[in-house]
Amino acid sequence: MAVEIPKDSWAGSVRVVTLGATPADGGTRSHTIMIGGQNTLPFMHFEKSTPHRPVIAVEIKDRRPEDWSGLLLEIWGDAANDPATWAKQAEVASADLLVLALTLTAADGSPTTPSMAVGAVKAALAATKLPLIVLGPGQADADNELLVPVAEATKGERLALGLCEDKNYRTIVAAAMANDHCVVARTPMDVNLAKQLNILIHDMGLPLDRIVMDPTTGALGYGIEYGYSVMERLRLAALQGDAMTQLPMMVTPGFEAWKTKESKFGQDVPETWGKWEERAINWETLTAMTLVESGADVVVLRHPESVRRVHQAITDLMTVPETV
Amino acid sequence: MAEHIITFENNKPPVTVATGTLLAEAIQQATVSLNQPCGGQGRCGRCAVRVTDGTVRSRSTLRLSAEDVAAGYVLACQAVVESDAAISIPPQEKIERLLTTDLVSAEVEVPAGYDPHKVQNVRRVTLTLPPPTMDDQTDDWNRLLTALRQQADFGTVQASLDQIQGLGGVLREGDWRVTATLDAERWDCPGCPARLIDLKPGHTPVETPLWGIAVDIGTTTVTLWLVDLLTGKVLAQVAEYNGQITRGEDVISRVIYAGKNNGAAELRDLVLTTINALLETACKRVQAQPCDVVKAVVSGNSVMMHLLLNIRADSIRLSPFVTAINDIPTLTGREVGFNTHPAATVDCLPGVASYVGADITAGVLSSGLIDTEAVTLFIDMGTNGETVLGNRDWLVTCACSAGPAFEGGGVLDGMRATKGAIEEVWINGATFEPTFRVIGGVKPRGLCGSALIALLAEMALTGVMDKGGHINTHRDHPRIRDGEHGPEYVVAWANETAHNRDIVITNVDIDNLIRAKAAIYAGFSVLAERVGVPLEMAEQVLIGGSFGKYINVEKAVEIGLLPDMPWENFHFLGNTSVRGAYLALLDREARARVKASAARMTYIELSADNIFYDAFTSALFLPHTDLSRFPSVQAAVVS
Amino acid sequence: MALSGIQIYKMLPQINCKDCGFPTCLAFAMKLAAKQVELSSCPHVAEDAKAQLSEASEPPVRLVSLKANGHEVKAGNEVVMFRHEKTFYNKPGLFLRLKDSQPAGEIQAAAAEADGYCVNYVGRDLTLDGFAVEAVSGDAAAFASAIAAVRQASHRPLILISTDSTMIAAGLRAVDGENPLIYGANTGNWQAMTDLAKQHHASLAVIAESLDELADLTEKIKEAGVKDLVLDPAARDLSQSLALNTQIRRLALKKNFRPLGYPLISFPGEGSDPAQESVMAVHAITKYAGFIVLDHFAAETAYPLLVLRENIYTDPQKPIQVQPDIYEINNPGPDDPVLVTTNFSITYFSVANEIEGSGIPAWLVVTDAEGMSVLTAWAAGKFDAERIAKTIKSFNVADKVNRKRIVIPGHVAVLSGELEEELPDWEIRVGPREAIDLPAFIKQVL
Ligand code: SF4
Ligand code: FES
Repeated sequence: MAVEIPKDSWAGSVRVVTLGATPADGGTRSHTIMIGGQNTLPFMHFEKSTPHRPVIAVEIKDRRPEDWSGLLLEIWGDAANDPATWAKQAEVASADLLVLALTLTAADGSPTTPSMAVGAVKAALAATKLPLIVLGPGQADADNELLVPVAEATKGERLALGLCEDKNYRTIVAAAMANDHCVVARTPMDVNLAKQLNILIHDMGLPLDRIVMDPTTGALGYGIEYGYSVMERLRLAALQGDAMTQLPMMVTPGFEAWKTKESKFGQDVPETWGKWEERAINWETLTAMTLVESGADVVVLRHPESVRRVHQAITDLMTVPETV
Repeated sequence: MAEHIITFENNKPPVTVATGTLLAEAIQQATVSLNQPCGGQGRCGRCAVRVTDGTVRSRSTLRLSAEDVAAGYVLACQAVVESDAAISIPPQEKIERLLTTDLVSAEVEVPAGYDPHKVQNVRRVTLTLPPPTMDDQTDDWNRLLTALRQQADFGTVQASLDQIQGLGGVLREGDWRVTATLDAERWDCPGCPARLIDLKPGHTPVETPLWGIAVDIGTTTVTLWLVDLLTGKVLAQVAEYNGQITRGEDVISRVIYAGKNNGAAELRDLVLTTINALLETACKRVQAQPCDVVKAVVSGNSVMMHLLLNIRADSIRLSPFVTAINDIPTLTGREVGFNTHPAATVDCLPGVASYVGADITAGVLSSGLIDTEAVTLFIDMGTNGETVLGNRDWLVTCACSAGPAFEGGGVLDGMRATKGAIEEVWINGATFEPTFRVIGGVKPRGLCGSALIALLAEMALTGVMDKGGHINTHRDHPRIRDGEHGPEYVVAWANETAHNRDIVITNVDIDNLIRAKAAIYAGFSVLAERVGVPLEMAEQVLIGGSFGKYINVEKAVEIGLLPDMPWENFHFLGNTSVRGAYLALLDREARARVKASAARMTYIELSADNIFYDAFTSALFLPHTDLSRFPSVQAAVVS
Repeated sequence: MALSGIQIYKMLPQINCKDCGFPTCLAFAMKLAAKQVELSSCPHVAEDAKAQLSEASEPPVRLVSLKANGHEVKAGNEVVMFRHEKTFYNKPGLFLRLKDSQPAGEIQAAAAEADGYCVNYVGRDLTLDGFAVEAVSGDAAAFASAIAAVRQASHRPLILISTDSTMIAAGLRAVDGENPLIYGANTGNWQAMTDLAKQHHASLAVIAESLDELADLTEKIKEAGVKDLVLDPAARDLSQSLALNTQIRRLALKKNFRPLGYPLISFPGEGSDPAQESVMAVHAITKYAGFIVLDHFAAETAYPLLVLRENIYTDPQKPIQVQPDIYEINNPGPDDPVLVTTNFSITYFSVANEIEGSGIPAWLVVTDAEGMSVLTAWAAGKFDAERIAKTIKSFNVADKVNRKRIVIPGHVAVLSGELEEELPDWEIRVGPREAIDLPAFIKQVL
């Protein structure tokens, strides 16, 4: 019996966002990363080819993150003391690009100053040739204070700056516009909110191909199904032609997974959870893979072994089956 | 470059201008005053003028109806001079009517062919009794009954003890000439004995009105119409905030309050105080006495009805959300606590469910929904945002808690649409300066619902705030500032207002309003989805609610409160609840039909429904997260 | 094709007699459209309408259920491609594969370990669902004794794996009276396998390299009398199996293509290490597998997979609840604040995430509000002073802290008076309305 394969054909496609700029385009990166561009659901190679594979960003910090799980601090070792070294190590761990997340305070508890932030960003840029995403500490005032000088000091590098949120986006967007950067727009696990923020940012005049949306996810066991479905819905909306959702998606499974007890702690947890390290890596990897299945274009990870596994899986998923 | 002469109808000296000059500029050159509230962006339509001779090129006629255009109207700010032309500048008043006539419902019209003898159950008759003699020692009561039977065709009649107690006095005081008012042939009990309401000495002249009231108890506003049951005419219309507001703004808080010690009794007193005060005011206007009112029909949502009658309402709030009673038997003024005639008939209209009450069944009647073949969306723009979708074959209904924002409640400078309320606002896109119109033409005291809708639309359109409703504090402008409640926009400075305080709209107000409009929009969109009828299939949209008739439909669409449809599909009916009560007050058949419509409605519970939540968050944006639902707004923004 | 409420309504008698237990025919029609009631609840439907309506309600993916000794694993009956469209109904069964080449003792030990594995997740006990026993030895007796060894250790449902019908026959005899899943039938053996499945009322997995072949086979087998089928499109790599699973589900749902309207079986562990197996299993869980056969078992890999399965198969229409409890965030001590919220998971997560992110240690008391958010629960009377007080008492919060003080959400500030009455020796503080403001509130106000 000849079975006719049902193929979806979609009116819309995801925009391509280019991160990083080579010297030819006014930056210093050795290559750029392009994300997005799909006009099928993830990995439906039998419908259309997938122009750009999902990429892995490794998260590094401007100073040693003492609150991170011991497993992470151990594996990165001294590299975590210095953003430049860390960046190099991340590149070795086969990161496609880097996320530098700024800390609210310096080691002595005083607020991180703009010059410290600029210094860390420049160090990371100098250490590797990978494109870079810079995230503020996550408090509106501090984000604005640090990201504007960062944007200015790296004009032309086409960083992605974040996180823009619905109550605090104007300053970051303005800085990105003035200095040829992109932005990351974060909304809390809701299709509508994601779309609304894209509209607001676009209304300020930033072209859509310079916005990456972060629809937020929960970790495995902590609300991942919301993140998963929100991403599926956003991608479906994009394919159906809704312009304001046609943006690549970045999510932070590393951050989410390493917050959970399952990853963070090796002691005082139920025995049925099994061995700590393998469990923790599984937690991060499974969180990331679930989101890759639902349409993530950038997954931000923390553990090099998770990076390896996710990288391998993405390669497998990108393989076009012979029968197609 | 060619020059053209522009002449004016009102004897102003003509001006000469170059080709391509804006008509508005030419008019200004002639020092004729012309308001341009939106700053000449073609959005407000207030600069409409008529070209009586010659031609101009219109860039946009967005704000004018086809008839206006046919009659030669153009927007001065959008019209370019291309030849000599003669211009007529209408006085401001004329324009307003022009722009709003089709949107405003007519004054209350008495139903065609109203004949109280056929359809009114309360009747007043004058009787002349033969005085008793030694030959005819019939008792007073039987004497009256006989007269009623012989002269007015009443069979059996019931009376209360106090009426019997006063009987002898009344008969003799009037020298055996009396006027009796009776309730007979009730809608729900055609063969029942008539009930004596009132007996007065003497013959009341036939033209003296027979008073009835139609009352709508809204969560926020109580409305009362005083009606002459003989002619059917509404002779006074009054409204006031529901006195219970101080005990909670929405029905849920009221129910909770009622559950507290004495709370129920207190709430009942509060609403009775409001109603009785309204009754008093209305009667004063027509020199009547409250106790002359012999019939009342009451409409209102289920909670209001329960609270009026001091019936336990807890179960309405708690899952599975049932009322104590949907269909209340006929009562008297004394039982209910109205200062009407104590024996007045008080008829409370039936509801459908906890959150779809008599106000909606009354609305379904008065809006004509119950008779129409066309799939119709009926929205009650009140605190509870009830919606009905359907036609004469099927009806589904839901409620979504919209809150009192559009009635001015919960908004810092909000007020009801009465004298002193700002009712229309335009903001100049270049200067951010507002222009407004105040009801009664006095100094303003606050903002009513229509102004709030207009403000939302204008602020979003001009960029005073973003589409998410955040005021743009990055703009350096004296009217945008950080107030006590966060960012706010000053609509009127203290020196322009009646109370010498600034009138502002705060970000908190905006959030409340957006939530209210989102709840309403989500309500009807989910309703449509749940029955599987796309919203576009609705052929007309009927809008009720005490403030409904003041809404500017275009602004309401701009903010995403109403679905984007051709204007002619919208019909603003004002307070459909009180109108339904009024119809039931006049006509016992109408009353029976309210009951029938209640039985036919299918109620859909929206609470705890993710689909609703989703629809709600997508509507929490101006006009909507899904702009494709609002093609005309999209087009307007682009142009 | 699914009918809308109004379409169904038009086929009902429209007399609003309430015999079905709903107030109007339209209310009943909408329930029927949502597949929440049975058509038979209305005694008045006309015959022709009945035929049309029941046609519309037949499931596009056949339900296959494996039962053994009180355990049951169901697969199929799915109606959507994406969980947000409605929900995924039947969680894929997770089976552990054991091979008859191992000594019986080892098999029994491995089965016992996996069978006894039970991990608690938000108050639910999660376990594996059964075992797949594969005949690789070529020896029917060895196969039978391997099965017996598994049965010694576990009562859970079984999958018998071999393409050799004599092996399967031996296996079936070893579990006489049970109806396991036979894996499986291919173009070579389907007749013999079908006979066995029929004899033993077993379900049958069908294996084929292409969808064309697969559809041919299922039709033939169905013709021959076995209806409870399971599909294996025989892809073992991520990309290919994602494509095939998607195509099969689409054919069943969108084209109502009956020959492929059966649940799927997946083997993520075949030829891979445990790490890769987990990754493959992610996609089996998210993308449509009905039975998943694993080749490795360890707590640290089973636990995340079981959790993922719970997450993906929760009903997205229903608010998810977290277990009422006192949650410790950032290792609180006796001097740290006590916060109260409801057990709606979004509410819980937003509060917990904010606190966690801020690094502030706190106790978070989660009240049973039937899975509603703060405001909704309050309105419905599920989050009132009485319930909060009861929760505080039942979790012995007083024993954990030095200062008896609780913070309630700003949205229910009205409750503070009553709470003072209910908890006389506690101080009641009203916190912010939004979770995001909590860290600042704790720092500045408490
Ligand atoms: S039993 Fe049938 S006819 Fe009666 S109300 Fe229910 S659906 Fe309608
Ligand atoms: S439309 Fe002309 S001034 Fe507003």
